[in-house]
Amino acid sequence: MIHLGELLSAHLDGELSPAERDRVAEHLEECDRCRDELEELAAARAAVRSLPLVEVPAAALGLPEPVVVPLTRRKSVWAGMAAAAAAISIVVASVLAPDGTAVTPQDLSDPFGARVSLDPGFTPTKVAQVRVATGEFAE
Amino acid sequence: MVETASDISWEDVARVYGRKIYNFAYRLTGNPDDAHDLVQEVLLRVRRGLPTYRPGSFEGWLWRITRNAFLDDVRRRKRRPTTALPDELDRTGLVSSPAPDEVLASIRLGEDIQKALLDLPYDFREAVVLCDVVGLSYEEIAQAVEAPIGTVRSRIHRGRRMLRERLG
Ligand SMILES: [Zn+2]
Repeated sequence: MIHLGELLSAHLDGELSPAERDRVAEHLEECDRCRDELEELAAARAAVRSLPLVEVPAAALGLPEPVVVPLTRRKSVWAGMAAAAAAISIVVASVLAPDGTAVTPQDLSDPFGARVSLDPGFTPTKVAQVRVATGEFAE
Repeated sequence: MVETASDISWEDVARVYGRKIYNFAYRLTGNPDDAHDLVQEVLLRVRRGLPTYRPGSFEGWLWRITRNAFLDDVRRRKRRPTTALPDELDRTGLVSSPAPDEVLASIRLGEDIQKALLDLPYDFREAVVLCDVVGLSYEEIAQAVEAPIGTVRSRIHRGRRMLRERLG
């Protein structure tokens, strides 16, 4: 019997062709040895993936220091607006990107979005542009 | 897709990819200083290279630059011994001050994994780090390391097997 070998790693990574996928599924049904190896490979893969992503020191990137938008200034800019709107703006001021774009809770739960409120050049629009530009989300 | 070089600036690359580039070098060397130097070198090369960037796989392009910068750096100087881990633990105070057992256990586990990674021959370590730390597809790794996709697949697989042996 020819065992699966490196097809097992590719299987874990979702990197198999449809034909290979079928072969792997069939073989795993009947081969203890490959099932054991799959388990071990999965453990090794999970171990490396469990390493925390270390935060990069800001100085290494050579970008300007993060700017925190002061609450009071934001409030005064919006002073001419209706009282209700102003009240809301105070609440959201801390999660406004420097270009005034509101950052939604969805953005903040996203590692890219979470940095938006701290980095003057890192607006949600910009993130989206970069993501599209680099094809990160292109299928 | 990047249509022209003006679609993206090196600052954009720094913001979006800086952390991944840093972690790539950090996990390959176990050394934060090496990682720091590499990020700066890569961003410099990106800044120089962007004007002549032609639409294609941006990830492949960026990681090829990153990898070449890393290898040039390794060639340029004798690599420092990878003693960074204990230092780092001291700096964060996690060793000197009492910490919950689970926290210590997870740090030790991370240390073991990092050590096992550093034991792997370079090609295997690189393939595993690009796959499982950086999160690239096999196709992107093949472009970055300029090797056939079958070679990438084999390196990742053998790298994981070696890791498994070392981690027990
Ligand atoms: Zn088998």
